[in-house]
Amino acid sequence: MLRFFSGKNMTKLPSILWHKIPWNKFRSSFRGHGKALRVTALLLLLGLSAYIFYLDVTIRAAFEGRKFALPARVYGRALEVYPGLKLTPAQFAEELQALGFHQQPEPNEAATYKYTLNGIEFTTRDFVFWDGLQPAQRLRIEFADGRVTLLQQRGSTDIDLPILRTEPPLIGGIYPGHNEDRALLKLEQVPQPLIDALISIEDRKYYSHWGIDPRGIARALYKTLSGQRIEGGSTLTQQLIKNFFLTSERTLTRKATEVLMALLLELHYSKDEILETYLNEIFLGQDASRAIHGFGLASHFYFDRPLERLELHEIATLVGMVKGPGVYDPRNKPDNALKRRNIVLQEMVKLNAITQAQFVEARQKPLGVIHRPPAGTSPYPAFLQLVHRQLQRDYREEDLRSEGLRIFTTLDPRTQRHAEQALASRLLQIERARKIPANTLEGAVVISSTQHGEVQALVGGREARYAGFNRALDAQRQVGSLAKPIVFLTALENSSRYTLLTPLDDSPLVWRERGTADWKPQNYDHKFHGQVALYTALANSYNVSTARLGIDLGIDTILDKLPKYGIERRPPPFASSLLGAFELSPLEVTQLYQTFADGGFRTPLRAIREIVTAEGKPLQRYPLNVEPVAAAAPVYLLTAALQGVVREGTARALTNWLPAEVAAAGKTGTTDDLRDSWFAGYTGDHVAVVWVGRDDNKSSGLTGASGALTVWGEMMKNIQPEPLQPAVPEEIELVNIDPAGGLRYAEECKAGVVMPFVRGTAPTETAACPVALTDSNMADDKEIIKAEDKPGAQPGTQTGGEKKNWLQRLFN
Amino acid sequence: MTIPTPEEASPPDAVAAPVSGEGVIAEPESGPPVSENRAVIALLDRARLDQGAGQREAAGASLERALRIEPRNPWLWNELAQLRLAQGQYAQAISIAHKSISFAARDRRLQALNWRVIGNARVAQGNAAGAEEAFSKAAELEQ
Repeated sequence: MLRFFSGKNMTKLPSILWHKIPWNKFRSSFRGHGKALRVTALLLLLGLSAYIFYLDVTIRAAFEGRKFALPARVYGRALEVYPGLKLTPAQFAEELQALGFHQQPEPNEAATYKYTLNGIEFTTRDFVFWDGLQPAQRLRIEFADGRVTLLQQRGSTDIDLPILRTEPPLIGGIYPGHNEDRALLKLEQVPQPLIDALISIEDRKYYSHWGIDPRGIARALYKTLSGQRIEGGSTLTQQLIKNFFLTSERTLTRKATEVLMALLLELHYSKDEILETYLNEIFLGQDASRAIHGFGLASHFYFDRPLERLELHEIATLVGMVKGPGVYDPRNKPDNALKRRNIVLQEMVKLNAITQAQFVEARQKPLGVIHRPPAGTSPYPAFLQLVHRQLQRDYREEDLRSEGLRIFTTLDPRTQRHAEQALASRLLQIERARKIPANTLEGAVVISSTQHGEVQALVGGREARYAGFNRALDAQRQVGSLAKPIVFLTALENSSRYTLLTPLDDSPLVWRERGTADWKPQNYDHKFHGQVALYTALANSYNVSTARLGIDLGIDTILDKLPKYGIERRPPPFASSLLGAFELSPLEVTQLYQTFADGGFRTPLRAIREIVTAEGKPLQRYPLNVEPVAAAAPVYLLTAALQGVVREGTARALTNWLPAEVAAAGKTGTTDDLRDSWFAGYTGDHVAVVWVGRDDNKSSGLTGASGALTVWGEMMKNIQPEPLQPAVPEEIELVNIDPAGGLRYAEECKAGVVMPFVRGTAPTETAACPVALTDSNMADDKEIIKAEDKPGAQPGTQTGGEKKNWLQRLFN
Repeated sequence: MTIPTPEEASPPDAVAAPVSGEGVIAEPESGPPVSENRAVIALLDRARLDQGAGQREAAGASLERALRIEPRNPWLWNELAQLRLAQGQYAQAISIAHKSISFAARDRRLQALNWRVIGNARVAQGNAAGAEEAFSKAAELEQ
């Protein structure tokens, strides 16, 4: 399809050609010979024909193009509701309200609901999903103890339903060049009173004229020739043409072009087609950078309801605005709008489009416009940017902006809200508590689902509604200790050499490399810790032992692994890269930890599930893909160690937010001069990464634990994650270990800690079970250090003072 | 971050291609149901109906919905692996079968089913030795 008028090119009428007509030659040839006159006349005629042809092509292209110039619509995830789901009535009602459902005493109309004793009765709308139409249903849902207990289709006999997929919330659009939005209507969807009103006030002879009103034109011509302003005389067809070319230029040539185009348009298209396009095209207001086009969108924008649910007086208000959306804006100029509305009603009654009674009733009503327009441009600009970038790889920008594609994404509005709130509130509190100047800290959050790699929430800054710098995607920051798990995983993959108990050397280290200055890594506490267990080195994030371990394993060996985990850019080949002296975005870090969280399977992060055309035809699906990139056993050991970070190590402050039985795994990250504060971690169902720092890269004064971790904790507390209980790989055995000497205890010995080992790598020597600890009162005291949470975990003992320092007891 | 390459969706009304033998979805003939959750069972039924009608993309979408509810259910992962095999996506069939195995610790029968998927996928990839190895693992587990 031709689309001459995309972007800024469409704003100008091709009236320039009129100026190019050689009037001077025309006059001179008039005085000259007859032949020249005839030739010139012929040329002129040809020129005019060509010009008309040109206009014809132009107007048809514009009409066809605009008919379908629909922004891509982007939806969040559809909530799957089923008996047993963790969901409260309040959460469900919130979901319905976000979809524009209204409370009604008898909720049998689409998009209505009412509360019942134990739940909610409601009626859904028709909705076309990727896999077809899901028709409207009258339903009942009941809840008990924070879960769904019943889901039924209401009818003469109620039918139990196993599952309901609710309509997904619309979270934004990808708009055409001018940031125009539209809610496309078919003519048969448009209420008759609206058409009556429009024709009554704007163009009474619409159905009988040829696109122009000769009397109006004559009047316009007279006024122009007599030096007055050109005004009025526009039919709906002419208004539509004006609207196509978006210019307020009032010249005779423009008017003539408009008349020609109107005639041409009427020649090619039926009255209904032109009216339908008019109803979808006409400009009806401005919302910041977004132009409001068409009655469908205007209805949402001014009344927060679809057009078919507007009352007569509201319809008349919208029709009144056609004359001047600014002058008759019901929000800013309510008096004007009210007067204009009543004129429209009066014209309708004059033409018998409404009865006198309807007129009197409608005239008495207030405007009824909602004060704040519903969020039109997306409330989730950062997530939308991710969606847009993924789409740009597969689609042409102009198709995204005009073909009305419907895009189903993975955004979970509830998870997103918790992430936004935690970031905003924690940064505010941190600034206050630490007397940091207000609004100097920034942050970013990414949350994905552990097993599917679906991005459920993405926050690009503390002002989540503001579409500014998207830190989640575009902030490239040093990752610091977040890189350590790569070193430790590489070690644990070599199970004959490394177990969680293997002693590492944390004494002073000087590393000499050609081309760089000597490197002398320091620990955060500026101390050296001698021999430490591998497990302890990670829990306490010791730099020196980690660096030495990485150098032993080979810097290249470790950095070569990054592409496997989805990190495509290669860090500099220096030893300092082992400690995270390279930059990644929060989204890239999420991809990295996704693999650890998912037992060594890499799942590329996805924001889009499916794409459907404007007509509801499935176009494309982005299926779940997984790839095993790391063996299950070492990843299991790494996860056990990262759970140790939370339970015993640098992230133990997380217990302020999450109960111990969640058994989250995670890693803090802090960079030089406290520039970056990171926390990356995972639970049974979520992988989440938080970055906090300053945009100017100055010191934030925060460690990973004092900054990002607190955001992570707060948001996870509200998300209520599933406990982390990774499946125990076949190669793993759990062994009872002597806390004093690193030897094995007999299985039945009540003392000691249970740790995971790759079979055959646990200590072989068995120490005698201490008699004092075989008493029955110590029965609950055996600590389990394994990735899988012990059934019926004992949060009390795990956080008890004595237990906190088992590692120190073990190795100091 | 890597973006998955999109896959052309076959519209739901596409004509069904015959399902090859190895792609037939295995019914767990006896033993406990695949899931206690009726929502998961309903989605699985739908996926099987769709696949029976040759609508494999739709079947995949339903299986993914089920997996969002029960992400650690090894039967669902196995079902998805079988579907990928039927779709001719052999590398994915193998990866997803491994994923099913990772959750199927105590279920030798299910592990064997997955090794059969891996074997069939390797046959299709022209990896005869690898296929042989997978089939013998399956046989061993079936004993």
